[in-house]
Amino acid sequence: MASHTSKAFLSLGRIHVSGVGLQKSLSRATYATGVSTHTGGGNKGHSDRGGQRKGITKRNRRTQGEPRTVKMLVDQDWTSVYPTATPFRPSAVPLPVRMGYPTKGGVPPGKKGNLELIKIPNFLHLTPVAIRKHCEAMKSFCTEWPSALGTDAKCDEHFPVKVESTDYMSAAPSLRNPSARVVHLRVKLSSLNLDDHARKKMLNLVRDRYCKDTDILSITAERCPLRKQNHEYAMYLLTVLYHESWKTEAWEAEKTVADMEDYSWEESPSQKNILSMLVRMKVAGEGEEEEVREQLLGRKEVQEYKNSVTRLRNEGESESTILQYKEAVKKVLNL
Amino acid sequence: MSSFLFQIMALQRLSFRLRQTATHVRSLHTSGCGQQQAAEAVESEPEPLSVFRTRENDPACHSEQHMGQYYTLPSTDIRTLFPHGLPGRYQQQLKTFNEACMMVRKPSLEVISYLKKTDFSKPSLRYLFYGLNGTGKTMSLCHSVHYCYTQGWLVLHVPDAHIWMKNCKELMPSSYNDTRFDQPLQASDWLRNFRITNEPFLSKIKTKQRYVWTKRESTEEGSLLGQLVDQGISRVKSSSDVVGAVLKELRLQSGQPESDFRMAVAVDGVNGLWGRSTIKKKDKSPVESDELTLVYNLKKLLTKDWTGGAIITTLSQTGSLYTSRFDYLPQELLGERGFDSMDPFLPVSVPNYSEKEFESCYLYWMDRQWLQHPQSRTEEGKKEIIFLCNRNPSMMDRICASL
Repeated sequence: MASHTSKAFLSLGRIHVSGVGLQKSLSRATYATGVSTHTGGGNKGHSDRGGQRKGITKRNRRTQGEPRTVKMLVDQDWTSVYPTATPFRPSAVPLPVRMGYPTKGGVPPGKKGNLELIKIPNFLHLTPVAIRKHCEAMKSFCTEWPSALGTDAKCDEHFPVKVESTDYMSAAPSLRNPSARVVHLRVKLSSLNLDDHARKKMLNLVRDRYCKDTDILSITAERCPLRKQNHEYAMYLLTVLYHESWKTEAWEAEKTVADMEDYSWEESPSQKNILSMLVRMKVAGEGEEEEVREQLLGRKEVQEYKNSVTRLRNEGESESTILQYKEAVKKVLNL
Repeated sequence: MSSFLFQIMALQRLSFRLRQTATHVRSLHTSGCGQQQAAEAVESEPEPLSVFRTRENDPACHSEQHMGQYYTLPSTDIRTLFPHGLPGRYQQQLKTFNEACMMVRKPSLEVISYLKKTDFSKPSLRYLFYGLNGTGKTMSLCHSVHYCYTQGWLVLHVPDAHIWMKNCKELMPSSYNDTRFDQPLQASDWLRNFRITNEPFLSKIKTKQRYVWTKRESTEEGSLLGQLVDQGISRVKSSSDVVGAVLKELRLQSGQPESDFRMAVAVDGVNGLWGRSTIKKKDKSPVESDELTLVYNLKKLLTKDWTGGAIITTLSQTGSLYTSRFDYLPQELLGERGFDSMDPFLPVSVPNYSEKEFESCYLYWMDRQWLQHPQSRTEEGKKEIIFLCNRNPSMMDRICASL
């Protein structure tokens, strides 16, 4: 505030010298100084004066000084130029940056007076040097990471359930931020004790919350107003899922082939087809139906065929799976 | 467009002049071949005619050494065997060049070798050609069918199963079974073409059952198959049921010791049989594939219940409904039901042209004076064509059509 008032006096002094239309120019001067900030040394904030005063301002305009970038050394301390997050100042950033839509037959406009550069967020205050300084300053407040938890694998082993929540800080009338109540819970299913049926049931219960590539189940809780409540709710969900997936209900016996996650060759149309075909071809010889079936199933070619069909169905199609299927069919049918 | 027509007319005139003197043709070939050999530096093989042609016109004698070479199909065969089987563009090419030349390629050679080894007492095996769009699946099917024809088999060729699943102008409830629907136009078309292809068999095979069409019309047991087919063509209303009867008779009789014919069932676009259809019933609900008489009867023929022949099929994405343009693998196009029905089958991949096959095709078109553009005859032009079409046969055909 002090700097602002001094500037106001300065401008007042300047207008006094002109001596014409004092009152009007006074009010105008105060408005103008109220707005001006750290423009590098010059009269830039005052340039828009309106047609009336143009002649006078032109006569008494102070020449613009050199921008600060000219005086900057290559090995200067950048952290003092941009100590905090501030909008882009073209005279303080010594880079020949261009931004915006190119003019006709030309290039994007330069940095001087470029609103596009001022609008966007810049990270000039977060250079590696600045971050190193921040870290040095924070080191005294930190404790060491325990050496027993050196690798990620060890962290997963001892702490399989990971809870994540975010704290927010801002200069505003209120300290509270409603986004701070969100809690993310992540756990790897391999660290839970689940058998085959329990795992399949768990996957059916959670659906999208499970990621197949990383084997991580993520539960996000944000329905309660406080973080503590959300955390407890997420832990409750995990417990319930685990116990429910171990139970087998009566209606689970009605699971159809379409519900199955994996393809199983037994009792599939493919098995029936190949068996009936081989029986017709009279490969196994005469005998009881059951015996013949067992004999056929035990054959190496039939096993190979079974593997190839299972692979084709489970893994999806590709040139290699189809070729494998083709080879298996050729062997089974003796081509 | 007009320039293209002019070119076709010019070519027709040119080919006519070529046909007149065989010696003239021979000299043109050899001189052309000599020029090309010098220009393209193609490895010459001991073929008297030219590098890309073979004199061996019998598919039974085609082998590995003929791979990549063109053999000529006699025009009589074309008229009887393929009244409806060949791809549209190829038919136009036939008319332009006045000769039917097909390339001998690995997929069809493979299937022909299996066909040679078939044991006719065992259930018929299923072969499936699959591949990207335009790689030559239908042509491979036609090559195998030509082999079957030259061996004297009965050929049951369904040119495109998709046309039975869409664009049906007349849909009638079936007289035989209330839940099913008839397609009289498609059925009578197919019967007509079937008759053209299999004339000799129609007077030999006898029906084993009595069929009653209306109160007054019926086909007695022991009557010739030809009569049955004629009945279907003349009485369009019952043609779908006639098709069903024909298929049933052939299925029962094939492979039996007393019948002396072998049957080759060739279906193009077989994935259409298990796909969705765009035909709608009167209440705007879509028709299932099993509710169409033609499709139902054809599916019975595709099972392994019968012996004494082979089933050769192709997948086709181009005419198929409700499938993505990039699907080409069997399971994607057949669907679960289709795969289960076709299983176990032998999938045969049909890839794009290899280097040698591309050379052969290029030389064939140069020889036929199809490539008129001066730059297409240079090395640079050839590289450009390779780049543009990625050696895909149909793309190459389309690109070179405008050159």
